[in-house]
Amino acid sequence: MNMSARLFGGLSDSQRLFLRRYGPIFAVYGFIIVLFIIGATQSERFLTVRNLTNVARQSAFLGIVALGQMLVILTAGIDLSVGSLVKLSILISAIVMNGESANQGAAIIATLGLGLLVGLVHGFLVNEVKIAPFIVTLASLGILRGISLSISTSPVGKASREFIMFYVQKVGPIPVIAIMFAVLLVLTWLLLRYTVFGKYLFAIGGNEEVAHLSGVPVKLVRYGVYVICSVTASITGLLWLSRMGVGDPAIGDGIELQAITAVIIGGTSLFGGRGTVIGTLGGVLLLGITANLLVMLGVNQFVQGLIQGIIIVAAVAIYKQEGD
Amino acid sequence: MSEYILEMLNISKSFAGVQALKDVTIRCKPGQVYGLVGENGAGKSTLMKILAGAYRADAGEIIYKGEQREQASAGEVIDSGISIIYQELALVQQMSVAENIFLGREPRYTLGVLNLRALHSRAAALLKRLGVRLDTRLPVSELTVAQRQSVEIAKALSQNADLIVMDEPSAILAGSELDQLFRIIESLVEQGVTIIYISHRLEEVFRIADTVTVLKDGELVDTRSIDQLDRPTLVELMVGRPLDEIFPQTEHEQGELILVAENISTNTILEDASLALYKGEILGIAGMVGSGRTELARALFGADPLTSGTITLVGDKSARWNNPSQAIASGLVLVPEDRKTHGLFTSLSVRINITLPILSFLTRFGVLQSSLENKIVAEAQERLSIVMASADQEAQYLSGGNQQKVVLAKWLETDPAVVILDEPTRGVDVGAKFEIYKLMRQLNDRGIGIVMISSELPEVIGMSDRILVMNNGCIVGEVAQEEATEAGIIELATMADAGANHS
Repeated sequence: MNMSARLFGGLSDSQRLFLRRYGPIFAVYGFIIVLFIIGATQSERFLTVRNLTNVARQSAFLGIVALGQMLVILTAGIDLSVGSLVKLSILISAIVMNGESANQGAAIIATLGLGLLVGLVHGFLVNEVKIAPFIVTLASLGILRGISLSISTSPVGKASREFIMFYVQKVGPIPVIAIMFAVLLVLTWLLLRYTVFGKYLFAIGGNEEVAHLSGVPVKLVRYGVYVICSVTASITGLLWLSRMGVGDPAIGDGIELQAITAVIIGGTSLFGGRGTVIGTLGGVLLLGITANLLVMLGVNQFVQGLIQGIIIVAAVAIYKQEGD
Repeated sequence: MSEYILEMLNISKSFAGVQALKDVTIRCKPGQVYGLVGENGAGKSTLMKILAGAYRADAGEIIYKGEQREQASAGEVIDSGISIIYQELALVQQMSVAENIFLGREPRYTLGVLNLRALHSRAAALLKRLGVRLDTRLPVSELTVAQRQSVEIAKALSQNADLIVMDEPSAILAGSELDQLFRIIESLVEQGVTIIYISHRLEEVFRIADTVTVLKDGELVDTRSIDQLDRPTLVELMVGRPLDEIFPQTEHEQGELILVAENISTNTILEDASLALYKGEILGIAGMVGSGRTELARALFGADPLTSGTITLVGDKSARWNNPSQAIASGLVLVPEDRKTHGLFTSLSVRINITLPILSFLTRFGVLQSSLENKIVAEAQERLSIVMASADQEAQYLSGGNQQKVVLAKWLETDPAVVILDEPTRGVDVGAKFEIYKLMRQLNDRGIGIVMISSELPEVIGMSDRILVMNNGCIVGEVAQEEATEAGIIELATMADAGANHS
């Protein structure tokens, strides 16, 4: 008998199912609350509007790519290339924009177009050439990074004034970027819950053969999911341009691992077919707040990686308890 | 339109020269239950896979709803109203009951937005038609096997199936669940659905079928109305043919007692089994799939912990064991049924596959003596006549028979006292079968006792000195080779409620 079965002994089947499914997510949010309490008591600067705004904005950066990553992982795939694509996106957008607001539209279209193209290539290689997603996107991690660094190893291009202002814009106390993340979050939730496409992601990740035999357009859905994931990376590249003001090729490294970490902490199964948007949000917030709090408390930044590793193991251990 | 919903006429099919089906004809009238029976390998599954569009027949025609059907894809077959429910249920575990039923055909508004209300209400209506009460929002992973089967049937109904094929549906069900399945089948028949019910459990066929078709070795034996049949006749039809394989025999006296199991039970279906094995004999274990044969083998080998009873190796190596590594050290060897997943490292070389259990004996100061290794592999190759390009060839590229020989070779190197073989000739061709039989006799000559589990009755009868018949987790009888007949064994193995008096 596993731990959850013992804990949830006296409940009805549906209550037990609910707890088994969402219990670990409550644990993640419980941990976030604990972090808040630690922050509020141990640091004077943590619970200030200024800092929380900061946390929200930074979480949005990670959150947007995490949403795309989650969709891919739901199909039992993975996308390792998003960090490199963020890097190439910030360069392309900065170069095209070149400091002129008149070029904004062109820069956005070019960048999103880049995401679309990369996603289609991933979809093609996975679907038609039948290469494992890990390998396809590992290759494109290297390729996109290589292209970026051969464009420039030092900052190039420039954002327009308005585009830079976007980063600091707020509605009341809430940064526009955080609102944008919230909207994408809700859209993803709706997509998974209320659309055929969303159900097909679970079906493919759950049992691709059954999905195929049931008439699910597996290839089409997979093209869609890799395109969405790459486009979230392009969007993140644009947000980074707004933040940095220039096309800085140092941006982007390691974002893919952060995103995958957040998704896993959020309870999405790496084998596909299981995961929730609310869980991914929890994973993003947990990572964002931990990083922020460690800075606030003056902890050596190298310790951050260590703590993140511990969080991953702890989270996955908790999810294991839900096992059949 | 003809009176038949489905006619499969003069169907033939061969695989790589082996005739799997020869000139088989079946005809089904609407609203009836057809029992399709036959031993393993009789061609039942092949026939149904041709119907499903998974295989293409070499000859013959299919007339469905009065029209000749060309080769069709799996999807087209489903659209035409034929659904096949396989033993391995095709459901997505993580998705809900309703989502599974309508997977690929979800009720939707424009732009791919789901109509959740219709999804659940239609799913509930379908389940109600089957007389099944089930929350359509539950994920399939939470359901019992019987409930999952109902979901599959509901899925078939949602595809407007007029003809539902059930491939050994009872193999995965317990007693009361079977009653439920029969109620579902009866209500389907009342609604005009035709059922093809594949089974080797004769009780069920007599209970549910209107007409029975018997296949044997890919040929149609007979099709009869159920009221023209009785049990002995049906058994006769299923097995009534002389053995056409050669089983090497050896003359030997009964040797000393070597392995004794007394009243062993495990946490599986296996209950209160006792057996004795003598040196140099083959003890055959017969029984239907799911009767507890494999569980018995696993228990003997220490792979499932005993909940009661004892197992002892007697003689000069007197020993007991609680797990496989102790069993191996005591001189037991299990060659498992599924060699691809349990017996063979398919992506590794033949060499390492053969020498793995004894690698530690092939070293000097911790360094592997490759000359010694090569010698052992060469000897094994010669003794078992393994056909391979070289010892470095990956095991996956060998034929089934040669793979089996590699698995055998691997264990023979440990010089065992007892060898347990689970389905030793499954998936190997006739020539390789004969070589494996010869090999078993060679082991006997060396004094090794063999426990052989097999679904192929001719093999069990031809090779075993004594045969234990299992049914429902219990050993229900012992038959000496001279007295064994296929009919007698099937009778024992399919008796309803057998073993109930043992528990």
